[in-house]
Amino acid sequence: MRETPDLKDVPIFEHLDDDERAELEELLEPVSFKAGQRIFEEGAPEERLFVITSGTVEVYKGLAPGRRQLLARIEAPTVIGEMGLLTEPRATASVEALTRVEAHGVGRDRLLEMLDADSPAACKLIYEIGRTLAERMAATNETVAEVISRLENTNARGSEDIDVFRDQLVEDWSF
Amino acid sequence: MIEETLQEVRFFEFLTEEEREEFAEVSEFVSFGPGENIIEEGAEQESLFVLASGTVEVRKGLPGGRSRLLAEIDTSHGRTVVGERGLLGESGASATVRAVGEVEAIRIPRETFRRMVAEGRPAAFKLSYRIARTLARRLTRLDEEVVEAIRELESRGETDMEAFRDRLITDWSV
Repeated sequence: MRETPDLKDVPIFEHLDDDERAELEELLEPVSFKAGQRIFEEGAPEERLFVITSGTVEVYKGLAPGRRQLLARIEAPTVIGEMGLLTEPRATASVEALTRVEAHGVGRDRLLEMLDADSPAACKLIYEIGRTLAERMAATNETVAEVISRLENTNARGSEDIDVFRDQLVEDWSF
Repeated sequence: MIEETLQEVRFFEFLTEEEREEFAEVSEFVSFGPGENIIEEGAEQESLFVLASGTVEVRKGLPGGRSRLLAEIDTSHGRTVVGERGLLGESGASATVRAVGEVEAIRIPRETFRRMVAEGRPAAFKLSYRIARTLARRLTRLDEEVVEAIRELESRGETDMEAFRDRLITDWSV
C-alpha cells in the first residue's frame, strides 16, 4: 500500500487549500532513496521536484577535483529540485541521502505546463518557493558581503582583480 | 502614464496589457531628492520600485558607521527594478539604495501585492513567478561566485577557511 504524503506538513504547501493540494498529490509519485544514494548530481539533469517526507539529505558542491564542500544538511519535510524548476534543469549542487529518504517526485515539465495554464495550485506553489528563495537571498547577501571584505583584506595582487570580482558579485545581488 | 512606463521595463514584459494595467492601478509615482533613501539597509522592504529616471547608489554599512559603495545604477541605461525581494520575503533590506540626484520611481506596495495574491489574481502570481526566477538565477550565480571566492582565498593562503566555509552553510536550496 502506498501512503499519500501529508503535504500539509511541508511548509511550502501549507497555504494551498484542500483542492489545490489534492491536485498536486495526484501528480506525485512515491520514491525512496537508500542512505548514501545520490538524488541529484552537480552538473547533471535536474528534471524532477522532490517532496521529502522523511529522512535527511546533504548538499555538496565541488571545490576542486576530489574535494567538495558540504553546503547544507536538510531534514524532512522539505522540497528539493526547485531551482531546476525555476532555472535550467541542471543541478548546481549534488544532493545525497544521508539516511533512508522517503520522497514524492513530480516532473518539472508537468509543473511548468500547469503554470502556463495558470493553475492556481502551481501558481501558489511557485509563490511559496519564491518566498523561500527571498529569505535565502537575504542570507546569501550577508555571505557575499563577508566574502567581499575578506577579498579586500587579503588583496595582495593589486586591486583590479578584486574590482572585477566584486562587481560581478554585486551585479547578482537582490538587496 | 504609469502603464506606459511599466511597459518599457523588461521586468514587466511578460504581463498582458490588462495585467500591467492592474499593476498600474495600484502603483503610484514617487520622487526622491538628492541623498534621500529609497530603500534603507536593515529596514523592512515594503515596496518594489521601478526606477524611471535619475541615478541611485547602492551602499552597504560597515562597522563604525561608515559605508561602502557597492554599485551605481543610472536609469538612462534602462529602467531598473529594486526591492523585488521584499515583495516575497520578510527579512530587512541588505543594502541602502540612495538617490544621487532627483529620482523618479513607480512604487508597488507590498501590502497591495499580497492582497492581490490572497485574491488569487493571476497578475500577482505571474509577478511572483518572475521574481522567483530572477532570485533563482541570481542565487545560482552567487553560489558559483562564492565557491570561486573561497578557492581564491585559499590560494592566497588564508588559514581559517574551514571555519569560514562552515559558516556558509545556510538555508540552501537546490
